[in-house]
Amino acid sequence: MSKLMIELTINGKKRKVETTHLTRLLDLIRDDLHLTGTKEGCGKGECGACTVIMNGELVSSCLILAPQADGAIITTIEGIGDDKCLDPVQEAFIETGAVQCGFCTPGMILAAKKLLEENPHPDEEEIKRGISGNLCRCTGYQKIFDAIKLAANRLSSRDKGRGEEDV
Amino acid sequence: MHQRTVPCQGYFAPRKIEEALEILSKQEKEIKVIAGGTDLLIQYYDRLYEINGWLDLKNIKELQEIKIHQNQMEIGAMVTHAQLEKSAEIKKYFPVLGKAAADIGSPQIRSRGTIGGNIVNASPAGDLLAPLMAYNAQFKLLSTQGEKIVPAEKFFIGPKKTILEPAQLLTRIILPLPSERTFGSWIKIGKRKALIIATITLALVIEMAEDNKTVKDVRTCLGSVAPTPIEIKEVREKMIGKNFDQLDFDQLGQIVEDKISPIDDIRGTKEYRKDVAKEIMINALEEIDAARRSYK
Repeated sequence: MSKLMIELTINGKKRKVETTHLTRLLDLIRDDLHLTGTKEGCGKGECGACTVIMNGELVSSCLILAPQADGAIITTIEGIGDDKCLDPVQEAFIETGAVQCGFCTPGMILAAKKLLEENPHPDEEEIKRGISGNLCRCTGYQKIFDAIKLAANRLSSRDKGRGEEDV
Repeated sequence: MHQRTVPCQGYFAPRKIEEALEILSKQEKEIKVIAGGTDLLIQYYDRLYEINGWLDLKNIKELQEIKIHQNQMEIGAMVTHAQLEKSAEIKKYFPVLGKAAADIGSPQIRSRGTIGGNIVNASPAGDLLAPLMAYNAQFKLLSTQGEKIVPAEKFFIGPKKTILEPAQLLTRIILPLPSERTFGSWIKIGKRKALIIATITLALVIEMAEDNKTVKDVRTCLGSVAPTPIEIKEVREKMIGKNFDQLDFDQLGQIVEDKISPIDDIRGTKEYRKDVAKEIMINALEEIDAARRSYK
């Protein structure tokens, strides 16, 4: 199999990786970059466990070839928050108990982040649509909705606070 | 954002259409054209090893644009479902297409899947196909031998079968801009809202005359009820030139029920699809009737 080099920015770091034309982005992330927060569920784009943000878009990394991500900017769950300070969405998931087995959580958090970026005050229907590509087999959806609402409130009051400081 | 073409035997991502056509003409059997990959990588999930090489269209900028040229819209084959869903011009001129795009898959699928991929994949359940037929879409097919423009209804010849030749690329979708009093309805029936392959879809587009009463033209197109997306031409005969106020919605629904040829499958039985086809036709007519009445 022919080898090829690709270059991508993952969680803010530029990486050069040797890959093949048959490698999925998901496998590159997990096996080559050792970022195992991104999960494989169905492998067919239905469950959202492999969700990452690529060039600002929510994508299923199981349906992307590694060479298609050449030059891309990618954020995985490891790029959200840091060891000292969690992202408000992560905090909200913990506080509301929105994590059961945890397998869907990385994808859910990325989908929630993307949703709140586009729509800072989603109603319940909009939340459902925003995470419609992510399945939770523990069926803990209600707490996930609660977490996203809590995160939305916190983020908007934080932004308001900032706005006042500016004045 | 920087984008490079990866020079490698198994993967080509040219920047120019001409280069892509050149690659296709030279190794038509050994190379697979890939757009968003949201259908292709599922089809090849357990047999990716069969792929000798990919021709990725992602770097060809002109295929990613929605443009209006005189009296028609041109949509590049690499325009994603998310782009269609969010485009103000699609919403204005082709709302049925925009709504169908918004109903596809999930945010993750809509951000990658493309209109060209949906067309070339030619699933009888492809969500964009009935709307495209309803808006009289034409497809531009290019090869090193030249260009060919084909109407949507001539393009699909069976489940997952089209007239596209191995050396040809679908590059653009051409849609004539509809007249002002054109109303549309989109109905998709499936077991759930997200990530569902449609049990049945209906794209109904009706053009009214200036009096806003006489039906000037109508296109009744359905998906998932035949080997290809289809138009029910008999509805035209019954509606064109008629006063909308005097139409018998039940009878028109019955025509749709009678003229489709669905199959039994895991998504629904033949009987179910026939019953539902009639009901959604009536609902679509009612929706258009309401839109027509509130039109000023």
